[in-house]
Amino acid sequence: MSHDIVLETEALCKYWGGIKALDNMNLAFRANSLHGIVGPNGAGKSTLLNLLCGTYEPTSGRILHNGEAIDSIKPYEFARRGIGRGFQKTNIYPSATCLENCCIAAQRRIGGNFNIFRWRHNDQLLKEIADEALQRVGLGSRRDTVAAKISYGEQRQLEIAMVLATAPSVLLLDEPMAGMGHEESQLIIDLLKNLKSDYCIVLVEHDMDAVFELSDQLTVMVNGQHLVTGTVDEVRDDVRVKEAYLGQGDEVF
Amino acid sequence: MFLTNKTEAWFFWVFFPLALLAPLFLEQNEFYVSKITTVVILAIFVMSLDYLIGRCGMVTLGHSMFYGLGGYLFVMLAPEYETVNFWVYTFYICVIAAAIALIVGVVVLRTSGIYMIMITLAIAQMCFYFFSDSIHWGGNDGLFIYIKPETSIFGLSFFDLDNVTHFYYFCLLSLFNCLVFFRMVLRSRFGRVMDAIRENPQRTTALGYNIFLFRLASYAMASALGAYAGYLFALQYGYVNPSMLSWQLSGTALVMSILGGMGTIYGAIMGTLVYEGLHYSLEHLTEHWLLLMGIFIIALVMLFKSGIAGFLESLLEKRS
Repeated sequence: MSHDIVLETEALCKYWGGIKALDNMNLAFRANSLHGIVGPNGAGKSTLLNLLCGTYEPTSGRILHNGEAIDSIKPYEFARRGIGRGFQKTNIYPSATCLENCCIAAQRRIGGNFNIFRWRHNDQLLKEIADEALQRVGLGSRRDTVAAKISYGEQRQLEIAMVLATAPSVLLLDEPMAGMGHEESQLIIDLLKNLKSDYCIVLVEHDMDAVFELSDQLTVMVNGQHLVTGTVDEVRDDVRVKEAYLGQGDEVF
Repeated sequence: MFLTNKTEAWFFWVFFPLALLAPLFLEQNEFYVSKITTVVILAIFVMSLDYLIGRCGMVTLGHSMFYGLGGYLFVMLAPEYETVNFWVYTFYICVIAAAIALIVGVVVLRTSGIYMIMITLAIAQMCFYFFSDSIHWGGNDGLFIYIKPETSIFGLSFFDLDNVTHFYYFCLLSLFNCLVFFRMVLRSRFGRVMDAIRENPQRTTALGYNIFLFRLASYAMASALGAYAGYLFALQYGYVNPSMLSWQLSGTALVMSILGGMGTIYGAIMGTLVYEGLHYSLEHLTEHWLLLMGIFIIALVMLFKSGIAGFLESLLEKRS
């Protein structure tokens, strides 16, 4: 079983001074499945994602990628290992076209980044990768539109396309549906359903319906602590979860 | 064609033919030819700064350090009473300046924004005081270059550095090459990464780029060209002086770059021309020319929010 664990944390901690943003987190993320992470505000979900993609350095504990410890490598090396990151706030290149956005993502892998003699617009391979990523998220028709001019929901899709263009094995997504209408959310849900058979996806999301619908594994966090991990049904029936989190009703959101 | 838009093409076809013809009108007067040579050299310097500020998002107030080093490196390296080869020393100076930039850059690029301005300024001032206080390198008065280099390449010499017109055309060619070079850089894959870094460094890191290395490479590149401009300046007047290293020069170049339109590269030429044109005409009007200059600069910046190039683009590109 252990061979299909792609990403793993061992006793992972992150303290900000005396505040324990994340305490003793032991999680395993499996290939070709979607691992949802939920919890009230301040539970440490985003902190966990920031640790997993190298934005923050852990205070203690280890992160293992395919069995190798990667907690001390540089932030850009996470992406090179195939750990792709989508941000909570839309994080794209607004003045470039959608295709160009994906080309930037794909070019890192294709190479020639320091080549000042090679014209940027004439590589078929690069465009094919970028096109494919755009098609995959359903933005094929927006190929030549400037990213700032597409809708908010489409920008979120574009961000996922950019991550896909880097050929990742792990997708870390931080609230991809935040601030979206129902129809737009449904688009992302369909997209993630489609993607989770090929990637290891870690999804932090406030939209409970979406998380319950998508997750193979679900982790509930409260105050930087791990509360419970299991399948959706296990979590839903867990007494502790009901007490700590779901029992409080909707006002936590 | 390497020109990106109509405005640039328009500028290109107006500026370079006019600049080529300029010495014909000024033939009687070597003073004016050497004056516009200085402007052309300055434009190279401003262009390299424009690339750093406008294209890489690295605001530096210490770029004059490399301008000055270009001159001083020649004086330090070349034997005083022997004729040396121009091309060999061009190579030396650019390579050494780039090497210095790599070392300085490692420190400078750890900062950004206002802190970067402070640290570049501090390093440039250190360099300034080193040369202005060292007796061996001429102190406050600087040093003379007694013998100018010869320009033969494979035994052929196409021009003479002592001939004012020859030197003007050579500087103009250098400016042209710089423009072509930067255009090439910007449309290359390296340029794509630099654009990405300027627009969103966080995203670029998350995509797996080591943005530090890209910035360092850009810094070294621009610094080498800044040093080249300083080298030409030193050769033109036959001396080096600590004022070449002063922060005022960095500031002036910054104004020229902003005036021309940051990040447009060709705008650097316009900014330099307008600034120096104003400078020259006002200087003859009154001794309080700086006062008038200030008013003009404020007016121009208020009028052209994205520089002269930006203004022209808004006029010319609208229809397309």
